[in-house]
Amino acid sequence: MRISPTPRAALVALFGLPVIVLWPHWWVLVLLAVLWLLVVLVDALLAVDPRRLRVRREAPAQVRLGGTVTGRLLLTNPTGRVARCTVRDAWNPTAGLAAQRASLRVPGQERRAIAQSFTPTRRGEHRSRALLVATRGPWGLARRTATATAPGRFLALHPFGARRHLPSRVQRLREIEGLSAIHQRGQGTEFDSLRDFVDGDDVRSIDWRATARRRSVVVRTWRPERDRHVLIVVDTSRTSAGRLGEATRLDTAFDAALLLTALAGQAGDRVDLLCVDRIPHVSVLGSTRTTVLHDMVAATAAVDPALVETDWERAARTISERSRRGSLVVLITPVEAAAMHGGLLPVAARLAKDHPLVIASVADPALEQIAGGRGDLESVYRAAAAEQARAERDGVSRALERAGAHVVDAPPDRAPQALADSYLALKAAGRL
Amino acid sequence: MSADTTAAAPARDEARAGTASPSRGAREGRSPWLVAALVVAVLAAMLISVARGYYRDGPLEPDAPTGQGAKAVVQVLGDLGVEVEVDRHTADAAESLRAGGTVLVTAPRELSGAQLTALDEALRAGDGRLVLVQPDFVTLSYLTSLITPVGTVEEPTRLGAGPDCGDLAHGARELAVPGEEDSLRGPASLYRTAGDDAHGCFTAGAGGALVASHDGVIALGSADLLTNAHVGGADNAALALNLLGQDGELTWYVPSANDPMAATGQTLLGHLPDWAGPTLLWVLLTATIALVALAHRLGPVVQEPLPVSVRPQELVLGRARLLQQANARDAAARSLRSAAAARLAHRLGLRRESSLDALLAALAPHVEHEPHRLRDLLGPSPVPTDQDLVRLAHDLDRLEKEIDR
Repeated sequence: MRISPTPRAALVALFGLPVIVLWPHWWVLVLLAVLWLLVVLVDALLAVDPRRLRVRREAPAQVRLGGTVTGRLLLTNPTGRVARCTVRDAWNPTAGLAAQRASLRVPGQERRAIAQSFTPTRRGEHRSRALLVATRGPWGLARRTATATAPGRFLALHPFGARRHLPSRVQRLREIEGLSAIHQRGQGTEFDSLRDFVDGDDVRSIDWRATARRRSVVVRTWRPERDRHVLIVVDTSRTSAGRLGEATRLDTAFDAALLLTALAGQAGDRVDLLCVDRIPHVSVLGSTRTTVLHDMVAATAAVDPALVETDWERAARTISERSRRGSLVVLITPVEAAAMHGGLLPVAARLAKDHPLVIASVADPALEQIAGGRGDLESVYRAAAAEQARAERDGVSRALERAGAHVVDAPPDRAPQALADSYLALKAAGRL
Repeated sequence: MSADTTAAAPARDEARAGTASPSRGAREGRSPWLVAALVVAVLAAMLISVARGYYRDGPLEPDAPTGQGAKAVVQVLGDLGVEVEVDRHTADAAESLRAGGTVLVTAPRELSGAQLTALDEALRAGDGRLVLVQPDFVTLSYLTSLITPVGTVEEPTRLGAGPDCGDLAHGARELAVPGEEDSLRGPASLYRTAGDDAHGCFTAGAGGALVASHDGVIALGSADLLTNAHVGGADNAALALNLLGQDGELTWYVPSANDPMAATGQTLLGHLPDWAGPTLLWVLLTATIALVALAHRLGPVVQEPLPVSVRPQELVLGRARLLQQANARDAAARSLRSAAAARLAHRLGLRRESSLDALLAALAPHVEHEPHRLRDLLGPSPVPTDQDLVRLAHDLDRLEKEIDR
């Protein structure tokens, strides 16, 4: 606990000036100083001990980024005296607490609440770093400060801006499922029902045994297989720290992962998520269909890019542990020449042997802008460099496609939809 | 709930919290070696100063072994059995004078009227001797009316003791006075004596004497007679030692600025009322309290654990600058051309790998350009100037737009 004077104490000290002018002696000065000190100490002693105040927190648990959430601090004064308090709740700045400081008066044996509203501006975990309570004496000359213990923490969740694209993709999914008649029998389909043959149906899908029992020709219909397994692997290494427009590449990657999760949930597939770079990492495994989206949003909230290179061999081991043969593996990682040297290509080739493999990459829209620059010599050189970079990216994605992966490369505003569309295309083609 | 959110993250979170903690980082930054090095440096400085022997340097300082000091004279006097006492305050010097000792004033011109009056009173009260080094007219007027400065000696000169010197020569036959540029305090002064009680010695030219004496006041015309640098010249040492060692004890008075008597009486501050001091102190005290009160910070400064973010275009821009610095126009043109060719091939439904000739053949029906113009545009023709490169970029753009139409 600390005792400190208030500005008012300095003003009170000015009352000593006329006394000193009237009796200009050094001992008067000393006397006045001692008197002032006594008055301030007495005021401090009359203040309620801040350590005796009880503080309880009603903090929010989580909030979607961009939203506002409210919490409360409850101050109980168990003493008989009135407590004049100033409370500072020191959250980190991006938690967006409207007012860190509050001054209030808590009468003896009563309780007061401080309303707080948070509008976080950064995804991830937010904490209250310190909670301090200062009480003033009845004359307001001294204050006593103490630290209170009421830990506060909440998660600012990913805003999931791609959610608005979900209805249209679900619609498309239903169409695919409904168009079972023209649906071919394939690896990723299961038997649905029998119906009469109409013109245009594939003759290979005629069920001869059923036709023999009936007078008309009967075809079997197939629908996309349900309850398939989708493993989303998000690369959180240094390349994901790139800032594209407002958000980092990782934010868009999570956006895409969440849209795919929501869509796959609608399609009846099970989704797991792995975040990989060089160290053991967050993962969401084995969630039920109803809770998977929530689990994923909560788990990815606190994941930030790390300035390391991804260990793809290690990632491949984890992926093969976590997935069955034939389950869809979605790697969300930038397609870059540098990533190739990190060993993505052989790993992708190996994965593509056992799984349908989609590599989703978030492209840099600035590259296109630079490639269009024609103003002066400098911008032409920049355009040349950007074209070279794009050519390299194209080469890398062609190499990955030759290795058997399906590459989706789109700028951040289209990447989630593009990934969802490629998933739907796989469904429609019966490969899943 | 079958949700199994594997929490492998804590390890990483802890690692991150560890690096983010400011206090720990600051504590690790302050190395104990730095403190040790500082202590060693301070100790070494102290030891070196002790080993060298501490002395105060200045004109006619009794401990200074430098050219302007007077350690030689003081040490020889000590060896001869003379007790040399160094004073820096007028009161102490006056006390010695009253007790009948010899007092040497190294810089009488720096003394104020009050100090000179005090010395004069002490001289009258006792029977001591006052040796003044190069006094000026004002200084002398306080102490004696019979010695007045008459002139100076600018050139290096040797002054012989005249026949009428008597005791004043102190066994010296000839004194060496350095020239103006070698001298400690400008040219040596000469003094004229009036009346029978006062007499001078070592005269030069028109009756001025380098050493003059009257009634216990002895004026030495040159400070160089006593300095380490010049005390060895001619018979200077004889004069100095005999003159100062006569009584067996000597007070070496070096006027200093922090002498209480040196303060010039009524200053500007003296006009302030007597309550001004305490009031000022109280105001300062109040201001300090106000600063402490206003500077009070409720709790720590909070750090934001911001995630890293990188500008992804740096590599492209860096490569562009490299190309430009190297004037790699052909390389730049090649990448622009191949990108445009790839886009055109895509538009025309050609394979990406198709040759330039195939592309040109496919383009020909769609554009008005001459075939050789097209070949220049898309083929590997050299780009001699910067303007050509810019023009090439624009031409490629125009060609693509034409095909798009």
